[in-house]
Amino acid sequence: MSLLEKSSPAVRSKTGFWPNNRSTIIGVAILVIIVILVPFTASSTMMNIAVFSMIFALPAIGLSLLMGLAGQVSLGQAAFFAIGAYTHAILLQKFEMPGVVAATGGVVAAMLAALLVGLPMLRLRGHYLALATLGLGFIVMIAVREWEFTGRTTGIYGFGRPEVFGIPIDNNGLFFWYVAPFVIIGLVLALNLTRSRAGRALSAVNDSELAAESLGVNTYALRVKVFTLSAGFAGLGGVFYAYQVQIVSPQMAEFHVSVELLLMVVIGGLGSVWGAVAGAFIVELLSEGLRDVIPALIPGATGEVQLIGYGLVLVLVILLLPGGLYQAVQTIWAGIRRRTEARRTTAAAKAAAKTADGTADAGTGEPPTRAFGGVPGEPVVPQGAAPVEDEVEAVLNVPTVSTPLTAGEPILEVKGLTKRYGGVVAVDDVSFSVPAGRIMGLIGPNGAGKTTCFNMITGAITPTAGTVTFLGEEVQGRKPHVGAVRGLSRTFQNLQVFSSTDVLGNVYMGRYRKGRAGIIRGMLGLQGREQYRNEEIARDILDIMNLGDVATLPAGDLPFGRQRMMEVCRALASEPALLLLDEPMAGLSGRERDMLANLLRALRDAGLTIVLVEHDVAQVLALADSVAVLDDGVLIAHGDPESVRNDPAVIVAYLGTDAEEAKHELEELEEHA
Amino acid sequence: MTDFLQLTAAGLSQGSVYALLAVGLIATYTVRHVVNIAQGDYAMLAGLGTISLLSAGLPLPIAILIALISVTLASVLIERVVIARVKNLTTLVSIILTLGVSTLLQAIMLLVWGAEGRRVPAFPGDDLLIGGVSIRSQELWMLGTLVVVGGGILLFYEKTRWGKALRASAEQPVAARIVGISPALASVIAFAIAGLAGAAAGVVSSPIYLSIWSGGLLLGLKGFVAAVLGGLVSFRAAIVGALLLGVLESYVAGYVASGWKDGVAFVILIVVLIIRPAGLMLRPSAVRV
Amino acid sequence: MHRAQRRLLIPAAVAASIALAFTGCSSSNFGGGGGDNGDGAAEEGPIKIGAVLDITGVGANLGVPEQNTLNMLSEQLNEDGGINGREVELIIKDNQSTEDGAAKATTELIENEQVDLIIGASRTGPSLAMRPLVEAAQLPTISIAANAAIVEGSEWVFKTAQNDVVVLERILDHAESQGYTKIALARDATGFGEGIADIITELGAERGITLTATEAFEPSATDFTAQMTNLRGADADAVIIWGITPSAGLAQAAYVQIGVGKPAYQSHGVANAAFFEAAGDAAEGAIAPMGRLLVADQLEEDDPQKEVIDEFIADYTEAFGNPPSSFAGHAYDAWKIGVAAIEEAGTDPEELRDAIEATSDFVGISGVFTMTPENHSGLTADALILAIAEGGRWNLHEE
Repeated sequence: MSLLEKSSPAVRSKTGFWPNNRSTIIGVAILVIIVILVPFTASSTMMNIAVFSMIFALPAIGLSLLMGLAGQVSLGQAAFFAIGAYTHAILLQKFEMPGVVAATGGVVAAMLAALLVGLPMLRLRGHYLALATLGLGFIVMIAVREWEFTGRTTGIYGFGRPEVFGIPIDNNGLFFWYVAPFVIIGLVLALNLTRSRAGRALSAVNDSELAAESLGVNTYALRVKVFTLSAGFAGLGGVFYAYQVQIVSPQMAEFHVSVELLLMVVIGGLGSVWGAVAGAFIVELLSEGLRDVIPALIPGATGEVQLIGYGLVLVLVILLLPGGLYQAVQTIWAGIRRRTEARRTTAAAKAAAKTADGTADAGTGEPPTRAFGGVPGEPVVPQGAAPVEDEVEAVLNVPTVSTPLTAGEPILEVKGLTKRYGGVVAVDDVSFSVPAGRIMGLIGPNGAGKTTCFNMITGAITPTAGTVTFLGEEVQGRKPHVGAVRGLSRTFQNLQVFSSTDVLGNVYMGRYRKGRAGIIRGMLGLQGREQYRNEEIARDILDIMNLGDVATLPAGDLPFGRQRMMEVCRALASEPALLLLDEPMAGLSGRERDMLANLLRALRDAGLTIVLVEHDVAQVLALADSVAVLDDGVLIAHGDPESVRNDPAVIVAYLGTDAEEAKHELEELEEHA
Repeated sequence: MTDFLQLTAAGLSQGSVYALLAVGLIATYTVRHVVNIAQGDYAMLAGLGTISLLSAGLPLPIAILIALISVTLASVLIERVVIARVKNLTTLVSIILTLGVSTLLQAIMLLVWGAEGRRVPAFPGDDLLIGGVSIRSQELWMLGTLVVVGGGILLFYEKTRWGKALRASAEQPVAARIVGISPALASVIAFAIAGLAGAAAGVVSSPIYLSIWSGGLLLGLKGFVAAVLGGLVSFRAAIVGALLLGVLESYVAGYVASGWKDGVAFVILIVVLIIRPAGLMLRPSAVRV
Repeated sequence: MHRAQRRLLIPAAVAASIALAFTGCSSSNFGGGGGDNGDGAAEEGPIKIGAVLDITGVGANLGVPEQNTLNMLSEQLNEDGGINGREVELIIKDNQSTEDGAAKATTELIENEQVDLIIGASRTGPSLAMRPLVEAAQLPTISIAANAAIVEGSEWVFKTAQNDVVVLERILDHAESQGYTKIALARDATGFGEGIADIITELGAERGITLTATEAFEPSATDFTAQMTNLRGADADAVIIWGITPSAGLAQAAYVQIGVGKPAYQSHGVANAAFFEAAGDAAEGAIAPMGRLLVADQLEEDDPQKEVIDEFIADYTEAFGNPPSSFAGHAYDAWKIGVAAIEEAGTDPEELRDAIEATSDFVGISGVFTMTPENHSGLTADALILAIAEGGRWNLHEE
């Protein structure tokens, strides 16, 4: 059980962790069959809806990637849709380029435009980005409307339909077949991307930007790339739209087009690529249907009456079904599964009772989940595993670490580090140096500035003054990923768990720094080997740390202490050169503390440098090779544990009473621990 | 020179509408961190409502009063029925939600009042002609409304205990609780203020700019641009920003090309966001409250 | 609870919903397009006439009465037994006042409905967008919009609204007679207003009139202060406001309010009652060339169009409760010309086109039409009268 059938790769797909080619292939095959059949069976009205839903599925997939994966709201997707269409039309009409060149031009133009505006705009957050993209939509619309070259209000028309091998694509049936392959390819690429290294990194960013960046994820660069990619999808949609409608006009960039695209993604389910395609179809159907239904219900209603449906659907979906269609289907499916499972279990129980054998269903090998009443995350004592005492000793098999420096050389140097918030000085002129291959403890009373100090070292906070030199390079004030890619790894006092994935997924993210596959490789699905290897390593680390049994549980379901251990695993997975642990002992059981302490010693012996912020003074003094003490933002002592222990300033800082009495109390405390 | 002054006057009156919308947006943003995309629709709703009440035979002041109260209540209702229901109000969710509300309001207006723009009759008063610059009495009403309503809201926030607590509640819910405002009540008050400000803007500008079902979005967005100029926190800066925006739009329409008028706001928006996300008027350090 | 199976669900759901949605009758989704859209073969069953109109959006003031007119006329025709015994099916599509909406609707009419004749669109921009589509499909089309570019050099497109050139000639003739030498222009920013400044410059040169300023406004605009301020500074003797309602009416109001104090001409785009709603008291005194419909009660008894117009007004008013606008008249003319041609030539596209081109001395609402292969517009300057806005309506203006 604890090994989770490591030897058998087929089991992997059970976790749903890796690209599951079989289900994708079946899904796509079904879609292909539908696509082939639709033109033969659909009524002409339906055919029309089908064609436009295919066209709009492309920008919707793009938007789904942007919103679901990168967590960015764009209210200007129509701008890129229009840019693609206009470029395509201009190249066809004014430069008489061949269709393929013009179409490529359209996609490239949309992507270039996105890159250009994305570079500055993606530094914005939340509402600002959404509204800036909205503004972009208006600007594009006004620009094409006012520019002679783009045909002003009327737009560009008269470029006709495309030809494929001499066959003009001049009816809905052929056009449907013409668009569909692009949608299917786009769908597969997008699906691959969501499961790729980059895709997992982005979804980690959505869970905890700080944690993801601390593992080496360059959030900004990834967001720019996804934004650009998303615009490429929109541009391609625009190209087909121009072909189908045979005119491009400023209305294409209008806000309501962006809203329709947003609606498609929301209905389909944020982050679900299949959902975006389904959403495109539903919205087109809805729009056509509402335009017929509402005037019948409300006499005299004219105009964009479908809006009432859009508005209702947007509000209701978000309020009642935030996961959209994807969530609905999953819930229904889970219900069905549960019922059949229940039936099977009763049947099995009956059978078991009959045979009195008790081995029924042992072969399914399902990991325990909540649905089965198993208590999640409680350390299941593995069958046949070593007794507890041995387990503590067994942690000698340590994960790989990187040792760029020989022991004793300074790996991290902090000089004059200062942080002021308005008039408050949180950290005041702190300097110290951490030698490689040693454990350093950073202690101090509550509010002494330990975590602030930590955050400045890792790049989460920009210091007011001072430098942080890691492996010879100044990293202060730069984003956390800068240090992380060089081998600086950390855990968090307030846990930063990637709750959208399982425990294994969390630890796998730790491997981010060691991976290389980018967005393109991810989309093409050419990173399987790298991913499998990294998964293997992540599993090994979990096993070493006694978390192998919960590898497939949602990370958020673990008890606090095990989440903390998981964070340590995640940090270790990156093969760090310097490990920064922010109160790693808090919330751990005594046994877990001992295990962690042993592990840390073993890691140090393997050459890893560790900095430890800890509340548990006794633990630190027992574990660390050197100890620094912060009080009220000032470094009051730094030296080996023994000298720090006896430092009167430290004792006063901790206990605020006279030195002698404090020392006494401290000793008592230690004994107690 | 006459033209310049004429354009300036027109810009200021237009800006006063943006200013009221910006005030409403900031009210909800500071308390709930929601950029209410439906803010502009309040204005249209109030204008159309007033027109209906007038045609029912009510005198103008009564019609306006009822419209203002109704839209304020509608805003509170939206807060209660929609916004308050969401536990985890992320940026993404809040944008989609208010967008949905906005779309819904637009559709309702389209169904009830039809597709055509309508106007509230001009408020009493004579148009002025000062040195060749024509100023409609309605424009004076608009500026006056900004002074009364906008100024009133400002005074509420800066001088009253509740107002101060409400401002503080954005950062520290505890502060508001001390004077007896629960987070839920704070949110209701904020949406009421937003509704009132939007409605006032809509009614007073209707005689000139018309009330039309689809007009709210753009208006609200321009209010947002003004609010961004104030860093989304400062009412005063936003009001100044709104007046500047109105004037600038007017100049672009007059001296460049009228078609670009609506583009001005968004160019400013993007440029400001990129260069100074903290807002034009504030020192960056002052923003961190 | 395998994720693998769960992933299959969405595609399966998509498949199921699509499959459900498509269990309609099979149809020829591969038909249509190209040179032969198969309509020539349909000698039985109803004759299909498609219409693409601005029923919603900025052109709604035009499209709605047009829609009413076509519905009324098709009912009348079918009550009278259709065309040569065949029923006429009218399919009206709303283009939402957009160019791409018009193109979409046209494609649907051609490919899905396989209509024999198209009427529309209401405004110039959408009509221009439709032109390449109907030309590629070789389908006779009668636009009811104004700009001459819609029909210029086209084999297949006709139109029934007065040419903008003719309208401008009337305006400039009047301006010349008043001794104006400088004209300023505020024009619709869409297709309807495009090229107007060039025509004025050209036609004005012959009359000693120069164009001193041009401003543009969106049909959706509500604020015209900037444009009118510029026109006020242009120091012209008169201003031409060239647009459709409501924007042209609002522009008229702003023009008067800002105190330009010069006479204003309007185009035939304001030949309806909606102009007075938008402009209010400011409408007073505006002069616009238009067809005779709106001043029917003031026409001479022997006017050749009077009988046709009176009958149309009576029918329309009875059916819809308010009198028709000029735009309703454009639709009326397009319908009548199209139907007459089908009666004569049947539904073969080429023969139908030839029959429309052979229309001669057809007395319609907007004038007396005589089409030729070279002239797909068919109206002369005689079709226009000058009207002046007085007391909330258009009156015949004595020149």
